[in-house]
Amino acid sequence: MDEWMKRCVQKVQEGDTDAFSEIVNAFKDRVYQISYRMLGNSQEAQDIAQEAFLRAYTNLSSYDPNRKFSTWLFRITTNLSIDKLRKRKPNYSLDAEVEGTEGLDGYSQLAAQDVLPDEQVVMLEWQASIQKEISALPPKYRAAIILKYMEDLSLQEMSEILNLPVATVKTHVHRGREALRKRLKKW
Amino acid sequence: MECFVSVNDIRRYFDGEMKQEERDQFYLHLPDCIKCQEHFEEVKKTIALTQSASHIEAPPAFTSKVMDNLPHKKPRRRWKTWIHNHPLIVAALVCFIFSSIVFWLIWIGSDEVTISGEGNVEVIRETNTVLVPEGEMIEGDLVVRNGNVDVQGEVHGDLTVIHGEMSTTGQVTGDVEEINQMLAWIWYEIKTLTKDTWSSS
Repeated sequence: MDEWMKRCVQKVQEGDTDAFSEIVNAFKDRVYQISYRMLGNSQEAQDIAQEAFLRAYTNLSSYDPNRKFSTWLFRITTNLSIDKLRKRKPNYSLDAEVEGTEGLDGYSQLAAQDVLPDEQVVMLEWQASIQKEISALPPKYRAAIILKYMEDLSLQEMSEILNLPVATVKTHVHRGREALRKRLKKW
Repeated sequence: MECFVSVNDIRRYFDGEMKQEERDQFYLHLPDCIKCQEHFEEVKKTIALTQSASHIEAPPAFTSKVMDNLPHKKPRRRWKTWIHNHPLIVAALVCFIFSSIVFWLIWIGSDEVTISGEGNVEVIRETNTVLVPEGEMIEGDLVVRNGNVDVQGEVHGDLTVIHGEMSTTGQVTGDVEEINQMLAWIWYEIKTLTKDTWSSS
């Protein structure tokens, strides 16, 4: 994987744009997952995920090939997501109607899965409820929980992505987990 | 049984920081302590729920959307790269072109006849000629620009004519030089400049 990745990056740097589509294909789900879980809204998540890949493309020369590409890419994604959250109007919530889409709230924008319709509904509600709880966390704890339990990353990688010391990352995971625990008690 | 487990201990359990003995003790303690049991189960549930929600796929056509939005990389022009790599040569070239233009402007710029040197000379406007009359003696160098020179008397020094012709029936004791080529003139200017600088310092 790493060797293949390195070759892909090199090809793009040499001007082979098509090689970049292989990189996008390899990482789009994970990048989208981070942005979606951070923002809780598929439209914004899609914009941010796309922006993350565009930034990666234009700044490819600043990527150090001796480090993991995914770490670098996820760092761009989390930074963009956190910026987006900061710029948002306060009190933004999934229950709020999305501008210009009357009657359509955040839940209906969730990514559809390829399952039977009945199960799909249950699945969507399930996903939406968990997402709602995650969205209630402060962004820094949210990022820690997403990277740790959804992306399954090591503390070391998380520390590089979030640009925080490992000890701080650990604290953020713990606090996020505790906050979630209290909210999920009733489940 | 008294509870010896703190929130931090439970955190350490889930972060995999407990040693084997500690973990054994913790497991032994759990069935006896409802508070810890609850907390432990809740954290386990939290983690399981969070992990279970982690199967999201990017929307369809995501890749093609990204690819369509990529900026078209303009191939960097070769000369641009070259300039970037050879700053000294570029600086020298710019300097050379600039001074060439200055020299050229001075060269073609004035048609005025100028004479430097001491002594009585006549200037004949019609033929644009500087005449050193018979019997006249010039002490030192004589330099004439943009005009012809006719030496019938004597020049005790070098005679230089720039942009003009000379005819000598008289006597010139030093070097005689006629400069009609731009490069020769530039060379002459440089020589004089260095000579002046040396003698003045």
